[in-house]
Amino acid sequence: MSELMHGPLFAITLTLLAYQGAMFLYTRSGRAAMLHPTISGATLIALALMLLQQDYHAYYQNINWLTFLLGPATVALAVPLYRQLHLLRNMAGPLLITVTVGAIFASASALIIAWLFGANHGTLLSLATKSITTPIAITVTQDLGGITTIAVASVILTGVVGITTITWLFNKLDIQDDRLWGFCLGLTAHAIGTSRAFERSAVAGAFSSLALCLTGTFTAIFVPFAARWFM
Amino acid sequence: MLAGFLTLVGCQLLGEFIQRALGLPLPGPVIGMLLLFIGLCIHGNVPKDLEIGSQRLIELLPMLLMAPAAGVFFLGAGFADQWPAFIAAVTLGTVSTLVFCGLLIRFLHGRNKRT
Repeated sequence: MSELMHGPLFAITLTLLAYQGAMFLYTRSGRAAMLHPTISGATLIALALMLLQQDYHAYYQNINWLTFLLGPATVALAVPLYRQLHLLRNMAGPLLITVTVGAIFASASALIIAWLFGANHGTLLSLATKSITTPIAITVTQDLGGITTIAVASVILTGVVGITTITWLFNKLDIQDDRLWGFCLGLTAHAIGTSRAFERSAVAGAFSSLALCLTGTFTAIFVPFAARWFM
Repeated sequence: MLAGFLTLVGCQLLGEFIQRALGLPLPGPVIGMLLLFIGLCIHGNVPKDLEIGSQRLIELLPMLLMAPAAGVFFLGAGFADQWPAFIAAVTLGTVSTLVFCGLLIRFLHGRNKRT
């Protein structure tokens, strides 16, 4: 009996079950950011493992083959990037400058604040990718030697903070142009931000997804080189 | 769909190969993404199989991320002293990034319109 609980079949059943539960909670709550499927699904998995007294690391070993799909999923992001590229016309200068400077600011601000609060080396390595989409953040963090779990947590929390504060912040700054609004949200809050931007308008969503792709690509190129010089 | 999947895996394999051959710090999948992007620009449109394959995979992302995200609950005592720095960096960092990007893009866009 107990060997079933330690195998891949149990792990995948638990994961699929948690996903169904997470999607149910997410749609029922009217797509509340705090109940994003990755957050609620992870919580359900953790609860189940604790109740069944299972070891997390053993579970993760059994589900690792699923995480492997993050590689091809990262490659797949070339398709939306290609599709949104036409938005760069007319506005290429402002958008490309904002994405380059903004992506560096997103990584650097997190690193400086964490460093001021006394974060250790492993935590710092896992925060550099907080503003980029999770599959890219994971591959970059693994290569840097950071903690994958912290990287995922920082990306998701960034998304939640981004979508819960942008409306108030951008009202204060008086930025209401859907193109600028969407672009800044996609740059800062990746896919979570992009789904929020689509709720505002199709234009905001398209610019958000362009920003998501550009920020992910630029950060993935920039962070490993910067880490090589500084660390 | 599987033909599209083959393109994705093929690009990743090529990316991993280039990374090792040239000793680049960039992750292989990111090089694979850039290769596919260049390929799409040359080809001029997205083949149907690739469209479906990539769409399916991107839809699966929330599920692929649940298992690594669950690790947050099992970090143990070793990470306990890191939480304040982590929370501060993510919340303050994100709010300041939004404000910074908002001000920057408004400035650049305004200047762009005038010229």
